[in-house]
Amino acid sequence: MVVGDVSTGTDVAVVGGGPGGYVAAIRAAQLGLDATLVEMDAYGGTCLNYGCIPSKALITATDVAHDASNAEEMGIYADPDVDFGEMVAWKDGVVDQLTGGVEKLCKANGVNLMQGRAEFAGNDKLRVVHGGEGQGSETIEYEHCIVATGSQPIEVPGFEFDADPVLDSRQALAMDELPDSIVVVGAGYIGMEISTVLAKLGVDVTVVEMLDEALAGYPDDLTQPVKQRAEGLGIDFEFGLAADSWTESGDGIVVTAEDENREASKTPQADGEAVDGDTTEFETDNVLVAVGREPVTDTLNLDAIDLEPNDDGRLETDDQARTAVENVFAIGDVAPGPMLAHKASKEGQVAAEVAAGEPAALDYQAIPAAVFTDPEIATVGLTEDEASAEGFEPAVGTFPFRASGRALTTGDSEGFVRVVADEESGFLLGAQIVGPEASELIAELGLAIEMGATLEDVASTIHTHPTLAESTMEAAEHALGHAIHTLNR
Amino acid sequence: MAREFKLPDVGEGVAEGEIVSWLVSEGDTVTEDQPVAEVETDKAVVEVPAPVNGTVRTLHYDAGDVVPVGDVIVTFDVEGEAAESESEAAEAAAESASEEATEAATESASKSATEQASTRTFAPPSVRRLARELDVDLDSVEGTGPSGRVTEGDVRAAAEGHATEPQEEPPDEVRSAVEPVGEQAAEHTEAETPAVESATEPAGRETTLAAPATRGLAKELGVNIHDVPAVEERDGEAFVTAEAVQEYAEGGTAAQGETAAAAPEREREFVEGGETTQPYRGVRRSIGEQMAESKYTAPHVTHHDTAVIDDLVETRTKLTERAAEQDVKLTYLPFVMKAVVSGLQEYPILNSELREDEEEIALKQDYNIGVAVATDHGLMVPVVKHVDQKSILDIAAEVNELAAKARDRSISREEMQGGTFTITNFGAVGGEYATPIINYPETAILGLGGIDERPVAEDGEVRAAQTLPLSLSIDHRVVDGAEAARFTNHVMERLTDPELLLLE
Repeated sequence: MVVGDVSTGTDVAVVGGGPGGYVAAIRAAQLGLDATLVEMDAYGGTCLNYGCIPSKALITATDVAHDASNAEEMGIYADPDVDFGEMVAWKDGVVDQLTGGVEKLCKANGVNLMQGRAEFAGNDKLRVVHGGEGQGSETIEYEHCIVATGSQPIEVPGFEFDADPVLDSRQALAMDELPDSIVVVGAGYIGMEISTVLAKLGVDVTVVEMLDEALAGYPDDLTQPVKQRAEGLGIDFEFGLAADSWTESGDGIVVTAEDENREASKTPQADGEAVDGDTTEFETDNVLVAVGREPVTDTLNLDAIDLEPNDDGRLETDDQARTAVENVFAIGDVAPGPMLAHKASKEGQVAAEVAAGEPAALDYQAIPAAVFTDPEIATVGLTEDEASAEGFEPAVGTFPFRASGRALTTGDSEGFVRVVADEESGFLLGAQIVGPEASELIAELGLAIEMGATLEDVASTIHTHPTLAESTMEAAEHALGHAIHTLNR
Repeated sequence: MAREFKLPDVGEGVAEGEIVSWLVSEGDTVTEDQPVAEVETDKAVVEVPAPVNGTVRTLHYDAGDVVPVGDVIVTFDVEGEAAESESEAAEAAAESASEEATEAATESASKSATEQASTRTFAPPSVRRLARELDVDLDSVEGTGPSGRVTEGDVRAAAEGHATEPQEEPPDEVRSAVEPVGEQAAEHTEAETPAVESATEPAGRETTLAAPATRGLAKELGVNIHDVPAVEERDGEAFVTAEAVQEYAEGGTAAQGETAAAAPEREREFVEGGETTQPYRGVRRSIGEQMAESKYTAPHVTHHDTAVIDDLVETRTKLTERAAEQDVKLTYLPFVMKAVVSGLQEYPILNSELREDEEEIALKQDYNIGVAVATDHGLMVPVVKHVDQKSILDIAAEVNELAAKARDRSISREEMQGGTFTITNFGAVGGEYATPIINYPETAILGLGGIDERPVAEDGEVRAAQTLPLSLSIDHRVVDGAEAARFTNHVMERLTDPELLLLE
């Protein structure tokens, strides 16, 4: 950075230090550019501080206790004593270690770190407002700017997050003590993951969902095992209800939900308008609102560079992650596409490389996604229907975990691996997994799709025995019609 | 089954092509390899063959449209057979919920809404990156890997312009993909023989040969090109020039006995608001873009000098007959090329390329000399490879062949690539000195003026001597003026005393 009298010059200014932004800044610095990363809250962003990482820590810790107390068939009788405060402290330690790591990596790569809220102050200029009274602001002049401001939870009218009993996902993952009961509004992946954790820890969980299914958007045969197991944990699903309001009542609150007679839309957008129909009331301690996330752009003062978000609040980008303004890129949750940390990181790398003049582009064939419910769900590429719609003749192969030796030895053999390929050429097009370690298993199939591998390639690759990973090979063999450990159709 | 046919990269690594004309109509039955469209790219007019037997369902563009390589231009209904998925169209893109994760996979997350769902090209990320590096449109590369996966080799081949042909076997009758433009000798200013046609009434032909720009002009002026009296015949077909179209539109007669190139600028009528426009695209635009890139990237300096070449004139005259015995027309150019290579061996910095991003100057070990050729469809630079290893006669034969190919547009992309230094012979048309623009990313270009008798002062006397003016432009980022001068001196020495070339 060149510090002048009034402002600082940098090649690449990155706004937002989440998994998109910090990766972009490091990559830019690796390529010899002067990179400045501006973060107004915590390095690592939502993912490391309030999302992926803390939720995974709590899910795993909870599973340790839950599995131990549910292993009678293995001859294990235990009643673990869970100190939730200590569990949270452990989770916080993991988060601290990772965010500290991000900061160290940035510094080690020569990235300039700046705390504050960045907004555009005209072409090629950012104003960074420092937190705190009298801290003032400073100006950064940039050659390229990468916008990586991420997203925030969508608020449902009547359930503003500033009220104590109302929680967003971030607050739910930062509770220091467990409520006796909770109403979770929204059965998307965030609602389902947190509901599962709380139910396993003994909280009385009610899930209120406007649509008539959990994890809408995933194929039914993937979500069915999840919903069943959740019900087995005592989670009460209330479908077709829209949370409407809450009132204080004694020690707790009462959440009111309206019957949703309208055509269910795919994206639950509670708009608070009165709907004809029955009203249901739920007595509870807290309400977690997890109906989705929306991009954050209002902090940026986009007018200063004549940039406008599209109708869903995102910044349109081309296949180099560029916005309509030549030297401004947008990556991650503010850019189009699924809101996923790994997609943000890849976009960050591409944006940095493009800024450095490299021939980079966003031309990946598939983005994997995972839901850390019990059992886990993971998908990559196309489903059978999507493949047909794209004009392929799909060849589908399935391998159930109950036929997997390794799955049986873990005591968890529910679910299956399914691969979808093009019948004629054998090219892998997609995969869907529900079951143990689905989130890990999907990686191999992502690589296969990206490499343009065929069913033959996957089937002919020797997989370690006994592992869950063999299931991908078996599914590919099944698609080819010569499965060994499951019956061919 | 429907099959969507994308505009292929016609083996030239170009980004777009102009559809000059459709050779089929919707509803027509076509056989595999039957030409369906004439497409003009930066380099040539090519006929695009049908990939399958079937019927034409939809033509997606009109003649005159400029289409990016890889865009679907025709939808065929394929006879009987199940169409290859590689080229299957999505009849209907599934409307799927815009829920986060499942969608992720199918959408290229960052592309704007103009998504083409139809086909997919299978290639690993490393190959995709290579394609971007080499500026190859992956979707138009024919994969030779397992099940048609695109390999690194396929991309490299496409970049070098000999992409694997879709069909394994050559068709029975090897069609030239290039619009025939007749035989022309490798001379700059020879007149074409016009076939005189009366122009008083519409000619009303079935087929007419014309450059795309001419067709565009006819369209603009509302003239049916088949009615324009032909200026000449080429390959037995009527050939029409832009002037003839203009002439016909104005109700006059075609200029007779004039070559298109030498036709005088027609008197412009300054009607208020009146003008004709010519499309700036295809070959014209790619020349323009290259010129601008060179001029705005490399700081040009031009060094001028004049070589006295009495001996060379004599030598060439002597050798012309010998060459003629072998059916080779011997010009001065091969001698100059040999002298230039000698100079480049002595001063390798002029045989180089600056790679700014890599912070390096690449000194080329090949001596591949480009020769700029003016054709009636724009400037082309065929490259004679390894001039250092070839005899003057070989070079002469090759230059003549390449120049002829450039003029009749049968030259391949490969034959115009790989140059390390360029010579432009503007003197063939006339003139003494010029300031040639470097054929970027090369770092030098030698312009040759006209060979003529000029006064030369020697030993206190002025005599008329055969002289050759030389204009050497250099990229001053790489080459210093003194080096340019020394190089020119070295070349001149060998032109003045051609026997020195025997020692090379």
